Amino acid sequence: MDLAKYTALFLEEATEHLSEMGRCLLVLEKAPDDGDAIDEVFRFAHGIKGMAASLEMDSITELSHALEDLMDQYRASGRVDPVVGVPLLFQGLDGLERMVAVVRETGAAPPLDEALTALIQEAVGTGEPPKKV
Amino acid sequence: MKTVLIADDASFMRQMIRDIIEPEGYEVVGEASDGVEVVEKFRELHPDLVMMDIVMPKRSGIDAVKAIKADDPTASVVMCSALGQETLVMEAIQAGAKDFIVKPFKPDSVVGTLAKVVEKAE
Repeated sequence: MDLAKYTALFLEEATEHLSEMGRCLLVLEKAPDDGDAIDEVFRFAHGIKGMAASLEMDSITELSHALEDLMDQYRASGRVDPVVGVPLLFQGLDGLERMVAVVRETGAAPPLDEALTALIQEAVGTGEPPKKV
Repeated sequence: MKTVLIADDASFMRQMIRDIIEPEGYEVVGEASDGVEVVEKFRELHPDLVMMDIVMPKRSGIDAVKAIKADDPTASVVMCSALGQETLVMEAIQAGAKDFIVKPFKPDSVVGTLAKVVEKAE
């Protein structure tokens, strides 16, 4: 595999996905039952997960997978929790943006933000938003 | 030479599939980035194989398989899935997809799956 070529493609597409994800989260902040925005955030998290997994960037794969699972849960319910869920999703977005920035600077993914990932996974596991964000 | 249409919303994935299958003698005749475009390009290009992502904008890969199979019941579609999408893969197979490959792609598995689908179609 031409790692440099695929890393460049990853950076280009992940940056676009994260920008669009942010736009969709702003929509969900005002309209937490906007189905199109929920679907889009799910798709962007899924897309980043697939690319990161192909490059064996395990930390980015794991965080994006947690976000994808959370969005899958919100897809099923048709609504994002506006009080806790939306801020949690913004935290996840910030986490991914920081990790992609490290890839841009160093060519490699940073270690996993375990606390953030666990927070998102907890929200998925219980079906309820976590009490603390 | 077998012709292939690749459908995935990520150019990263389309490029990766292309890099795996072109050295094996497949000709990529088109790419699509959503579930509407892949149906349109299938009608235009009549490829021997379609490699179809499941999660795409505008129309899901499963809906696109149904549309393609309604047009051409003999069409050979291979789904590109991720771990955890087993239920969706089964739905796609029931809709007429011939087989599936799992991301992240393993080149040997991709090539072996395509060869098997081509052999069955002949």
